[in-house]
Amino acid sequence: MLNAIAGQLERYMDLLGARQKLVASNIANADTPGYHTQDIDFQAEFRNAAQLAPQVMEVEGLSTKNDGNNVSIDRESRLLAENALRFSVASSLLRSQIQLVRSAIKEGQGS
Amino acid sequence: MSLFSVLSIGSSGMQAQRTRAEMLVENLANAETTRTPEGGPYRRKDVVFESSEVSSPFTSIFNTQVQGTGVAVSEVVVDTSDPEKRYMPGHPDADQDGYVSFPNVRPAEDMVDLMGAARGYEANVAAIGAVKDMIQRSIDLLH
Amino acid sequence: MPAPILPVSNAPLPATIQPAGASTGSGSFRDVFSSAVQQVESLGKIASTSVEKFLSGEGEELHTAIMATNRAELAFDLFLQTRNKVVSAYQEVMKMQL
Repeated sequence: MLNAIAGQLERYMDLLGARQKLVASNIANADTPGYHTQDIDFQAEFRNAAQLAPQVMEVEGLSTKNDGNNVSIDRESRLLAENALRFSVASSLLRSQIQLVRSAIKEGQGS
Repeated sequence: MSLFSVLSIGSSGMQAQRTRAEMLVENLANAETTRTPEGGPYRRKDVVFESSEVSSPFTSIFNTQVQGTGVAVSEVVVDTSDPEKRYMPGHPDADQDGYVSFPNVRPAEDMVDLMGAARGYEANVAAIGAVKDMIQRSIDLLH
Repeated sequence: MPAPILPVSNAPLPATIQPAGASTGSGSFRDVFSSAVQQVESLGKIASTSVEKFLSGEGEELHTAIMATNRAELAFDLFLQTRNKVVSAYQEVMKMQL
């Protein structure tokens, strides 16, 4: 009933949720010795339309502190903000799609 | 260049200013350090900023647009000039002539620099806040 | 003596009043209607493409995707309201006693 874009929006929101969970655990472990930043390959998971849980991987290119921890609090807090904003965008767009179908139903009843 | 890439740019600015502030605080804390593991007095450090490409964790590899220019610390320069020598014959680190080598840290200048780093950090935070607001306004158009 | 009464005959209608004809080229209702449907559909496709490009990170700006969605929504709503007006006008005409 809802078109293809609604399915994509839902997948997008799933991936954003998974990513946000990892960001939260990265932030919680910002001082844990030996902890490595975790993330998902967002674009690859999005293009792969299968409904599997996304694969968690480690992030390249981060500098490591003396205790083996490589969490960059700037990267994580910025990702936190961007994830929340993108989630807001996707949910608003999804609401628009649902609204289109709803108004078609409603107007059809009036005539 | 999308609005979201500004988040990367501001974040790079925050990180660079933070590193700069860390170096300045290290200099200030070690202003009177005459003994280091490498031998000799503490040598003051300076950071060098360089513009660098920023990446966003949401861009696809098919996106060929420029993502904006952020900043990165390209190197930390250690001061190699001669240390300041003061005449203190009773000091444990005095050499044969009674002179002690002190780091040529300039506390007043580094304090002012530190304030500059704090302002720079705040400015980047404000930029990120402004852009987040813009993005939120765009989202509000949908309701 | 009064004038002779002429027999009733089919007087020709003045040239300006003609019964409403069937489709006569541009401006016919069917053409207007189908072009409106096509426009709503194309705006909807543009919006879908724009949103897809934004989601896959291929450089589509956020406001472009949002404005495309808004246009599609407005076009659809306008189309629905127009259709309702047309239907109720038709029903009114049908109610008229001729």
